Amino acid sequence: MSTIKLEIVTPQGVIYDGDVKVATLCGKDGEFGVLPGHASLVSLLDAGLISATTDDNKEIVVAINGGYAKVSEDKISCIVDGAVVVTDEEGELTESLKKAKELLKSAQSSDTAIAAAVSKIESIKK
Amino acid sequence: MASLKDIQRKIKSVKGTEKTTRAMKLVSSAKLKRAEQVAKASKAYALKITEMIEEISANLAKSTEGLDHPYFKSVKSPKVVDIVAVTSDKGLCGGFNSQTLKEVGNIMSEYESKGAKVRLRVIGKKAVAYYKFQQREMENQIDGLSSAPSYDKAADFIKEVTESYLNGETDKVVIVHNGYVNMITQEVRVDNILPLDPDEFKSDSVSTSELEMEPDDDSLMEALINRYLEYTMYYALIDSLAAEHGARMQAMDAATNNAKEMVKSLTVAYNKARQEAITTELIEIISGVESMK
Repeated sequence: MSTIKLEIVTPQGVIYDGDVKVATLCGKDGEFGVLPGHASLVSLLDAGLISATTDDNKEIVVAINGGYAKVSEDKISCIVDGAVVVTDEEGELTESLKKAKELLKSAQSSDTAIAAAVSKIESIKK
Repeated sequence: MASLKDIQRKIKSVKGTEKTTRAMKLVSSAKLKRAEQVAKASKAYALKITEMIEEISANLAKSTEGLDHPYFKSVKSPKVVDIVAVTSDKGLCGGFNSQTLKEVGNIMSEYESKGAKVRLRVIGKKAVAYYKFQQREMENQIDGLSSAPSYDKAADFIKEVTESYLNGETDKVVIVHNGYVNMITQEVRVDNILPLDPDEFKSDSVSTSELEMEPDDDSLMEALINRYLEYTMYYALIDSLAAEHGARMQAMDAATNNAKEMVKSLTVAYNKARQEAITTELIEIISGVESMK
């Protein structure tokens, strides 16, 4: 199966860089999914979650507080102000979930978007 | 011939200077490490955002409408040029600031010879002092920003510049700063930030499909370009800070070595003078004894 490169960059550095099979981004006008070979697109990103499935079927979830995404056929670049990777490694999940929630809550964005993202995070926990 | 006491005093003062310069070197190397980290981390972001603007502008240029945005209108012979000069707030960093000021001078005379008016926007105490001495008018005089770069302040500043560009008060904006290459090398960097030149953005993207934008084109493009400008300004500041510490570390290292060298030669001179004094005294005593016989 073909893959698409996903890059998430913040002013603090590169948060994620890798090949994924599918990615879901939180656009300003709603969530949208991106598959390899997607038409070129530039979008404003709202506070929320970016989720993706990697080559080896691992789920990646990154909480962001707004930014931009540029999609081309073989690459998704996300330029965001702040991002927290929600890892699923032992013991770190609760910590990263807490950080992700804090980040989302601090974002100056619509409450509904944040509430939706927070509830999604909480569902990961279970 | 300087007296023993004079030499001793000199040695003491040079040793004092050496202590100061060594301490400054240590402080700078610690600060350099931090500044370097910040600069490195944001470099990825700066590169990405530039790349993104490049791709978008290349895409727009290809499309039927072309690039019809005030940020992209290219001016063949600008009438008013704004130069943003970034220097440090503190001195004792070798040729760091004078290199930047020299480059600013070159650019200034280049535009002025073409009949353009140059307005200076100056960041950093050192450049402010320099242009005050030259009695040049300055549009902005900002100090305190280059020793502690803050994103918000940089954004405020560049917003003001952008507004004056959009109002048509200026046709071109250039940022000049001395950037960090590695621990011992700095390089003067000149960024033509406004107008954005689509030709300068050489994009190697092979995307063939037409670019979609969401939400509508103008507001997104504007937000993205503003972000790009803010970040370019901010990056110039942190890059300059890292370079400043690098330059200071080097200058202070050289100063410490010179002080050491000086103490060495002064000590030799001191010993010589001491020996001489002893010899003269001995001769005096001996000749005194001789004459008593």
